[in-house]
Amino acid sequence: MSGLSAAAREAIEAIEAGPQGPKIGAFFDLDGTLVAGYTAATFYGDRLKGRDVSPAEFLRTVVTAVDGELGGDPTRIAHVAFSAMRGESEEAFADLGERLFRSKIAGTIRRESRALVHAHQRAGHTVAVASAATKYQIAPVARDLGVEHLVCTQLVVEDGQFTGATDGPMLWGRHKASGVRAFAREHGVDLGESYAYGNGYEDVAFLSSVGHPTALNPHRDLRAAAGRLGWPVLDLSDPVGGSLVAAGRTVAALAGMNAGVAAGIAYGLTRGDRREGRNTAIKLATSLPMALAGVKVEVLHRERLWTHRPAIFVANHQSALDIPVLGNLLERDFTIVAKKEARWDPRAVIGSVVIDPAYIDRSDSESARATLDGVVDRIRGGTSLMIFPEGTRSPTPALGPFRKGAFHLAAQAGVPVVPVVLRNTGELMRRSSLVLNPGVVDVCVLEPETDWSVDDMSERIAALRAKFEDTLARWPA
Amino acid sequence: MTSTEDFERWGGAAAWSSGAELTAMQTLLWRAERHPVQSSTSTVVIDLDRAPDWKRFVAATEWGTGLVRRLRQRVVDPVVPTAAPTWADDPTFDLAYHLRRERADSREEMLAAAAQVALRPFDRSRPLWEGVLFELPDSAAYVLKIHHALADPLGTVQLLSMLQSGRRAHTPRKPLGDDAAAPVGTDGVELAVAGLRTDVSTLPDAARAAARTLGHAAVRPQAVVSSALRYGASVRRLLTQAAPPSPELGPRTGKMWTFLTLEAPLEPLRTVARQGGGTLDDAAVALVLGGLRRYHARRDSPVRELPVGVRVSLDRADDLGNRFAGALISGPLSIEDPVDRVAAVRGEVLSLHTERALEVLDATAPVLNRMPSFVGASALRTAVAPDAFVLTLPGPPRKRFMAGAEVQGMYVLGPLPGAALTACLVTVGDTACIGVNVDASAVADLDALRACLAEGLEEMVAAGLGG
Repeated sequence: MSGLSAAAREAIEAIEAGPQGPKIGAFFDLDGTLVAGYTAATFYGDRLKGRDVSPAEFLRTVVTAVDGELGGDPTRIAHVAFSAMRGESEEAFADLGERLFRSKIAGTIRRESRALVHAHQRAGHTVAVASAATKYQIAPVARDLGVEHLVCTQLVVEDGQFTGATDGPMLWGRHKASGVRAFAREHGVDLGESYAYGNGYEDVAFLSSVGHPTALNPHRDLRAAAGRLGWPVLDLSDPVGGSLVAAGRTVAALAGMNAGVAAGIAYGLTRGDRREGRNTAIKLATSLPMALAGVKVEVLHRERLWTHRPAIFVANHQSALDIPVLGNLLERDFTIVAKKEARWDPRAVIGSVVIDPAYIDRSDSESARATLDGVVDRIRGGTSLMIFPEGTRSPTPALGPFRKGAFHLAAQAGVPVVPVVLRNTGELMRRSSLVLNPGVVDVCVLEPETDWSVDDMSERIAALRAKFEDTLARWPA
Repeated sequence: MTSTEDFERWGGAAAWSSGAELTAMQTLLWRAERHPVQSSTSTVVIDLDRAPDWKRFVAATEWGTGLVRRLRQRVVDPVVPTAAPTWADDPTFDLAYHLRRERADSREEMLAAAAQVALRPFDRSRPLWEGVLFELPDSAAYVLKIHHALADPLGTVQLLSMLQSGRRAHTPRKPLGDDAAAPVGTDGVELAVAGLRTDVSTLPDAARAAARTLGHAAVRPQAVVSSALRYGASVRRLLTQAAPPSPELGPRTGKMWTFLTLEAPLEPLRTVARQGGGTLDDAAVALVLGGLRRYHARRDSPVRELPVGVRVSLDRADDLGNRFAGALISGPLSIEDPVDRVAAVRGEVLSLHTERALEVLDATAPVLNRMPSFVGASALRTAVAPDAFVLTLPGPPRKRFMAGAEVQGMYVLGPLPGAALTACLVTVGDTACIGVNVDASAVADLDALRACLAEGLEEMVAAGLGG
């Protein structure tokens, strides 16, 4: 499993070697453990931006927060926040949670935490998020990780509005520990054999409720305590944030792409061969920017990219980086299907001049079908096609459902499907981000699949999607 | 077999506690003592199956004080606190002053008399122990009162376990301690001058160290300030974040000690501890809380948690290391299930390990010791007093004998420094002996408390047997 640190791999191997089944629990803290940073800060930042906060409330919040840091009651800050929410609509707040998840929080989920969660899920363990946060912060993250259970602070809702009070204590410190123990009793979980992951100094009681506690990227006081108590400490890498340097490199990369395109077209003109010019442009336009941005690509089974051309290449989609990466891999004689709106995306406009994508107007099925008929002809003519069957970029590495379009095209054109699994492109360039961070993209080309027909298409698509999931969960060595 | 073991153990006793000076912490407790309200005296009650032969008992004690030199030494204080007090042989040592025999009609009467023995202050110019053998109608009890400067409760139990014999019969030719006595001529003035001399000679070093620290602070003010703030925050959490004291356990005068004893098989308690993921210490705290929970319920009190003083090892968590700190936890009264209560206590105790200020009293003791003794006394007082102290001590692994009488139980009754009760669980063979010292002025219904503590213990044992 490349890409995971040795320590994370060891932890996962220990989980795989340990007891399996739902009697074993795995409890994950949210803030600082599953995600880097504090989701509450993201929510509060949004309130500040929306000017929902009066100067008095702001001052009170700051004073309470500072007091909590200086040995006062650290949960008071949350109660100040909860009482400020009195009268707000629960539905609107849940929507806000979803919006903030897509735009901000999804990008802060630690990749190796996700791998730990999946390792526990594969072992059939009962996995839960245990946090002092509210379900509006946790639920989108838990859903994305496929975690069903939440042990969290409950807010009282009356007539669809928050009352500003909590139902029961805030699940912080000892209350989180007792919440986890109650959950274990209810679900028949054997705590002595179970796992817990936390990062805060207040998580000691929570961690000590299980037989296998891990201090994950711990706060300095928890690190000291873990040393004394002999608990394992696991330091996972944080998702890369956009730095100024990275932003500068992105600009250079865009410039490189343009230069590549221009050079390629010029080359084609001088040689009098448009096709060759286009291929050269693709090559330069994809390899130059990636080199400038410091992005490397590591490919498993690169030969499978060439054995079955023309073909339909299907890949999972998390980032705008996916297109240049795939372009770089496929090198020549391919095009993409894109939605009409993407034509004027500044990130794609130059590439589209050379790749000459088949645009579909989703609002007009008649014209969409006509475009696709044209595409079938082009495939038969020797141009491969690159399609993202999820249709849209997912905010996280979790795989979305596959649409059938790509496979219908394969059946109609009588060409094979070559599955390409991309990992961590989303980490190097977050969804809806314009900044590209340096790093290594892992790519795995799966066995090409031939002879598509409408009869068994659904089953084959489901099987293929499962292969994607499996590859993402256990990256082949 | 047994006698070889005995000889090894006795050899250990001879080497026991041979440092000449009191440690910084012992010094603080010694100087700050205000008996009995701020006391450092523990009392051990040892149940014996029969009254030992008095002559043999006196001879054995005589031998013990010869083996363990400290029992014949007194504390010499410097006239001004420039140095730590030291131990010096008491030239006027007279066993008859320290050991006597009394008669009691029942065990209750013996316990009441033992509490009176414990309440009387020591003559601080003599060796800091006193033993009374109570002869009961068909058994006996030995009550030993010992000062913290001589031995803390753990040391006392260790010492007693070491001195007892593995067999009922007399062992002739027992080992003797070294005759090389500590300097007898030590007096307060000499000590003070010697201390001052050391202070003066180490002054340049101290000044250099201080300058270095200041230099660091000047170069990295931010780091120093944030580190100081974190330390301060930790002190504040330790002092203020435990639960407020229960109104059912006050007001207390600290002057009406009442001794209760409880016993239970040890194995079920260990089982409950294991089930809750904790240690025997955690189970001991949980069982006292179980008793207090019943008592509060009986008194219709809504208190959900109360402050409990526990001992935290400063070394590895589960080791019986040598460095301990006392600290407060919020003991839950609302948890009915004994196993869950152990788990909750476990969480509270382990959480203390995140506090960098846990050793604050250890760290400040040397400074406090240089001040007039009332400063140290008030420093000890500012530490918030818990409602209960709970302590677990490892005793002898199997039944032992004292001058031909079999030891049936060994109970430690700790002092009450501001608390309403102090409970000590001593493991004696396969039995848990729990001694509880209650401030009778703090408790409205002492009989109810006694019954509730017994029920709390039964409940734990039942949970251990049931699982």
